[in-house]
Amino acid sequence: MEQMDKAYIQKLANQLMFDLNDEEILDLQEEFVTLQKQIALLEQIDTEGVEEMIYPFEAETSFLREDEVSHVISREDALRNAKAVMAGHVHVPKVVK
Amino acid sequence: MNYETVIGIEIHCELKTKTKMFSGAPVAFGAVANSCVNEIDLGHPGTLPCVNKEAVRLAIMAATALHCEIDPLVKFDRKNYYYSDLPKGFQITQQFHPIGTGGYVEIETETGSKQIRLERIHMEEDTAKQFHNEEGTLIDFNRAGTPLVEIVSKADIRSGKEAAAYVEKLRSILNYLGVSDVKMEEGSMRCDVNISLREMGSREYGVKSEIKNLTSIANVQKAVEYEVARQSEILSNGGTIVQETRRYDEAQKATVSMRKKEGNVDYKYFPEPNIPPIRLDEAWIKEIQSHLPELPDARKARYQREYGLNDYDADVLVASRELAQFFDAVCQYTKEYKMAANWTIVELSAALNKANLKASDSPCDPKHLADMIHMIKDATISSKQAKIVFEEIMKGKDPKQVVEEKGMKQMSDSTELLKMIQEVLDNNPKSIEDFKNGKDRAIGFLVGQVMKASKGTANPAMTNQLIKEELAKR
Amino acid sequence: MQLSQYHNQDVKQRVYEALEKAKALQPKLNAIVSFAQDIEEQLEALKQIPKNAPLYGVPVVLKENVNTKGLLTTASSRILSNYIPVYDACIVEKLKAAGAIIIAKSSMDELGMGGTNLSAYSGPVNNPYDLSRISGGSSGGSAVLSAADVSALTIGTDTGDSVRKPAAYNGVIGMKPTYGRISRYGIIPYASSLDHVGYFTTSIADAAVALHVLAGRDDRDMTSSYREVPAYETLLNSDLKGKRIAIIDNVQNAIKDDAILANFNQLIEQLQKRGAIVEHVSLNEQLLSVLLPTYFIIANAEATANHSNLDGIRFGMREDGESVEEVMRHSRTAGFSTNIRKRFVIGSYSLFVENQDKLFRKAQKVRRLIVEEIKTVLDQYDITIASATGSIAPHPQDSVDEKLSDTYLIAENHMIMGNFSGYPSITIPCGFVQGMPIGVSLMAKPFAEQTLFDIGLAIEEETGLRGQIAEVEA
Repeated sequence: MEQMDKAYIQKLANQLMFDLNDEEILDLQEEFVTLQKQIALLEQIDTEGVEEMIYPFEAETSFLREDEVSHVISREDALRNAKAVMAGHVHVPKVVK
Repeated sequence: MNYETVIGIEIHCELKTKTKMFSGAPVAFGAVANSCVNEIDLGHPGTLPCVNKEAVRLAIMAATALHCEIDPLVKFDRKNYYYSDLPKGFQITQQFHPIGTGGYVEIETETGSKQIRLERIHMEEDTAKQFHNEEGTLIDFNRAGTPLVEIVSKADIRSGKEAAAYVEKLRSILNYLGVSDVKMEEGSMRCDVNISLREMGSREYGVKSEIKNLTSIANVQKAVEYEVARQSEILSNGGTIVQETRRYDEAQKATVSMRKKEGNVDYKYFPEPNIPPIRLDEAWIKEIQSHLPELPDARKARYQREYGLNDYDADVLVASRELAQFFDAVCQYTKEYKMAANWTIVELSAALNKANLKASDSPCDPKHLADMIHMIKDATISSKQAKIVFEEIMKGKDPKQVVEEKGMKQMSDSTELLKMIQEVLDNNPKSIEDFKNGKDRAIGFLVGQVMKASKGTANPAMTNQLIKEELAKR
Repeated sequence: MQLSQYHNQDVKQRVYEALEKAKALQPKLNAIVSFAQDIEEQLEALKQIPKNAPLYGVPVVLKENVNTKGLLTTASSRILSNYIPVYDACIVEKLKAAGAIIIAKSSMDELGMGGTNLSAYSGPVNNPYDLSRISGGSSGGSAVLSAADVSALTIGTDTGDSVRKPAAYNGVIGMKPTYGRISRYGIIPYASSLDHVGYFTTSIADAAVALHVLAGRDDRDMTSSYREVPAYETLLNSDLKGKRIAIIDNVQNAIKDDAILANFNQLIEQLQKRGAIVEHVSLNEQLLSVLLPTYFIIANAEATANHSNLDGIRFGMREDGESVEEVMRHSRTAGFSTNIRKRFVIGSYSLFVENQDKLFRKAQKVRRLIVEEIKTVLDQYDITIASATGSIAPHPQDSVDEKLSDTYLIAENHMIMGNFSGYPSITIPCGFVQGMPIGVSLMAKPFAEQTLFDIGLAIEEETGLRGQIAEVEA
């Protein structure tokens, strides 16, 4: 496993678009140690030739949606939950310093 | 040092469907911002994707036309990254099981035809459109979720010319199929070019740069050529290429750096758990494949084989699906294929261009053009008159009516024409003398005089012939 | 409260009584995040519904992750604490069509990612039998409101055991049907391949009615099943003769509380007396020992991607920033609790290309082995049975949340097998220990919900706990 240093964990968090404080990073470092032990347990299980299980049921479907307009929401609804709207667009303003 | 250019191209094409890839909201170009969306396109919590049948059909058409092998079990995956134009924070795409694999596009090069092999063609969804200004970013989600196919070539392309030919050919094929609008300038077809250089004979790939923002095929060639020159200069001077994304700047006519690539981004692909594997009905696939429209190569071959057109004419016609369709329509009414081709390529194209119209919207009825061609052929009208008639049939008029209204029947009655020629010769003794002295030019002048006297209705070929005969007698 | 007790009662009166009761209990239980503001409109709309509709005029509570158009839906997370959905979840449409009146939205663990209900943005939910104890989660609010007699039907969701565990802790029936039986469209997800809609009732008869209403194919959820939905409630049959029941020894052997074991063993004897064939089975202990890490890896990986849409851009809480990226980062940092962010990091880590083989894909393979193990048992038996939990509802300081630990807690985690397999599973109250309710957990073959109801009815008849509720002094 990579060096789980502070910078690395903060980088992992930043890739997910959030920050972690020092305490949270410390917690995570411990949790990664636990994770490591659990991985070791998983590794003991022989999965040679076993396919990944992606869905609870693997029955194939043949359903495809017909290409007919079925549901469109109003512009008001589309923008209702956005914190900032400008000229009918979702707006993400820059903070003026 | 001699370098070999290695190019691979990724093309994204918006599919011509009524609704989004995974939602029943309409697809519309140029609609009022955020008016063609529903909660799925906006990535609202709790929404689930639902695959559009028509998008799959169009993707099968494209894959078939590109000679790909079709995977009848359709699966989707998540490509995870954060960007404000990507509502869900992941894009649903086909990373692990593309609908089409293999395949190729055949292009013409100076040294003959060449196959550009394809890696894959897969379905995915488009992102939202963003406008950046001084105050921040404006986002319109209408485009979000629009069905796309991405077509990835192998690194088989070796020059800017080949790159342009590849994109042109692909565009033409997709246009013939009717699966996409393929408008590079409007973004319904987008092209990313990966370029690297390597020492001639080497099998290793060099460090590549990726060029985005290519809004025309001409720019594809220019950008590649610029980039090849730039990279080879760096390498020749002992420098190293930095892996980066560049864009083509039209004003500077140069590629400029957008961002450096810090290693490869890990998109953490994994299978989309909300879309079970979809088994396509083999009979449905076969039906789609057996009803493909005629593709450009097949059409060109037909034009040469059945209509006897030369390579150039066939190419020009086939280059535009609309123009070729118009030409085919004209050919339903005439066997004068060569003339039909000439009129379509030269006059019709020019007139349409001037009026900013597509051939499919031509006001001229193909049958009218065929009728006019027959009138020229049987000398009812002269080529000069035909130009006037053409102007009228471009307004939707029947050529017979035009000829009648304008009283422009060509003077092909030899008695009447002869009378006129006699008069002209009588009035121009100097020209006769010139002719006798070996000045062939004089004939041209005399023909002109006859045309003038007949107000352009004289059949020029016949006039020419008769003048020669009369001169010989004098 | 049972559906049968609503007969001959004025609908409006009963709805307002339920609301008043919920409001009166709120300071004690803290089970509700928001009350419906449109009761009168809903009552008006009810006029269009036939009076014999199965849930006519029944006040229903929804978990905070069920989208309700126009009514706050927060998933008990700060980042969605201002989110007003623009659409109804599929089950909301179904409930309303069946005559239900939505009266409130109930508290849950943040984004469903917990088993204690201590992580809700609106604070912990208290157990109605002992306010100092936890409700369990993640569907804690709905479990508590069922137990406290506010409503005959409350909706939850179940990704690990989020309906069935709080059901045990609060002495009510907690039903999680087969994956795909109830549409997930409009349910704010946790982990898509494990998420199920479930619900709480106080009688088996009501559980049967509820599934009849909620189940069925929905084209908006591609994983939803086409299987016909039986009228479970009319088919109920508590005859146990010849029914084959497997006790999962691994679970019972891990339980240290003698009172729980004694209660369980007595119930088994009663079932045997009714003609059931009860046998002991042991599942592969090594597989069971990795139940939790397997779950943890899959659930967090899917959750990381599922919640990438929560970025403050189009909806939800937005924090300021100098760029789009900063806005997203600040919003997500402030929007998610510490625990959620940590779990996203682990989920994301297990999806990295270089880690997938030993983490995400490995867990998916182990999941298959676990499911095969369960299937082998259920090929030979009608149901498996085990104590739902190894203890009564703990105090907050003694509770263990979904978190990796070195301790192996099969007694507390075995119900996850119902999520791995997608098989239907139910928790039924079976008595009291130290004045606190306990439950028994049943699991059946895919789509054999009727079997669960039938055997559940026999259990209910034996325990005499039909309609069991907690008396809470307001």
